[in-house]
Amino acid sequence: MQTSIPTSSSVLQSLLRADFTTQWRNRRSVILVLLVPVIILMSWKGLVEKLGGAFVLSTCITIGLMAIGLMGYSNSIARDRDKGVFQRLRVAPVPSWSIMVSRLIVQLAMILLLTTIVFVVGFNYDKITLSQSGYATTYLAAFVGGAVYLGLGQAIVGLIKNPETVNSTTRLVYFVFIMVGMFGDLGALGNQIGDAVKWSPYGTVKHILSASMQPTNWDQKATLAMLVTILYAIVFSTVGIKWFKWNSK
Amino acid sequence: MDNQSNGSILQVKDLNVFYGSFRAVRNVCFEVKEGEIFGLLGPNGAGKTSTLSAVEGLLKPQSGFISVCGYNISEKPLNARANIGVQLQATSFQPELNVREILQLYAGIYGVEMMKDKIETILAGIKLEDASSKRFGQLSGGQQQRVSLLIAMIHNPRLVLLDEPTTGLDPQSRRQLWERMEEMREKGHAILLTTHSMEEAEAVCDRIAIIDHGQVVTVDTPASLIEHHRNDPAVIAASRKGKITLEDVFIGLTGRAIRS
Repeated sequence: MQTSIPTSSSVLQSLLRADFTTQWRNRRSVILVLLVPVIILMSWKGLVEKLGGAFVLSTCITIGLMAIGLMGYSNSIARDRDKGVFQRLRVAPVPSWSIMVSRLIVQLAMILLLTTIVFVVGFNYDKITLSQSGYATTYLAAFVGGAVYLGLGQAIVGLIKNPETVNSTTRLVYFVFIMVGMFGDLGALGNQIGDAVKWSPYGTVKHILSASMQPTNWDQKATLAMLVTILYAIVFSTVGIKWFKWNSK
Repeated sequence: MDNQSNGSILQVKDLNVFYGSFRAVRNVCFEVKEGEIFGLLGPNGAGKTSTLSAVEGLLKPQSGFISVCGYNISEKPLNARANIGVQLQATSFQPELNVREILQLYAGIYGVEMMKDKIETILAGIKLEDASSKRFGQLSGGQQQRVSLLIAMIHNPRLVLLDEPTTGLDPQSRRQLWERMEEMREKGHAILLTTHSMEEAEAVCDRIAIIDHGQVVTVDTPASLIEHHRNDPAVIAASRKGKITLEDVFIGLTGRAIRS
């Protein structure tokens, strides 16, 4: 009876296979997450000329990133924690970080998928095109922006144990971000709220996405927005990791 | 690193676990030897699950020493856990995965080669040949318990921790599990079992520790426990039919009051 510790890479490989399978089996909720930005993209067809392609695409990607971090990631973590899935994994010779890294890699793949779908629909339906460097930098900005909402989702599951409360809280935050963020950004809620929205997690993420679509026009404001975005990601993730409990009991 | 020279697979010494100011486990000491089934018995809230959680590495004790196959659980947690197979009280696997995928996941985690045909063979060995494409939640209680035990044993661990494994099982499934535990003992595995069933403890355990208010009250074989406490007034008072049983000893030592 000789036992040995498996390598971190083989553990991660097994966890990734299981987490991607889980995500595939949940494809209905994946479709719902991707549907909202696609619907906005299609319904704003007439506004593309007025608002600009970068504005429309960045809004859609920001809303998709919110859905991934708040609706997808946080709820799956809260549910698995409550069911004892993490506790079962943690009694195995698995470093705790590998459990979370595997989950995050799946979410990064989701961000990649979301951004690609928005680009494809934007090109085919709204005839929005970007330069090659624009596409590349937008993918990078989407990962940075995604980190803000994954961090926010992590903070919510860190601070709230009950999965139903996590679910209702994330829905509420998602709704508030969409309504205040989108309408505030369009100037429908007045100048004060519009200014506040610009420096909110919604506004900074949208700003860096929009700026990265035209990398030649990247300015100091975009750099500042990037720094604030990174700061949001660090603060939310720190709160989420510090207060996170593997067991909801 | 190998097991200790005295044959102990698990050693627990002066274990103390606190939840805030509440001391759930007080200076608990015991050891489980190779080829031994060791029962941890106690009323609700006595400290069994806290002790087991500390051994599993799920909670960090405030003080004490736990060693699995010679590996200190706080210094070499992965080495220690690689030698432990665990069946948790409320085991849950990802509900979206089927039995084959769950087995593949845990085989990968424990570094065990597990091809599809091998999975089919081992599932057939526990009479679950048709279950490989079923989700864990679709299995009956007895089938879930068999899969959980299969996963606990997937890497052939030297120490197996079973937390109330027969709760909710029918008599057939319970008997089958006892037989599996005895087979594991014959193969040299050490088993640490928590249970509320005195019948189970008497039937399968080589030694028993009765734990109450976080402390080990006594450790002995079931027969010796009955023999040594046969004349205790509290044990006699607990006896219902004149004949002293392990349950009478348990109630005599831990009291009649219902615990929360």
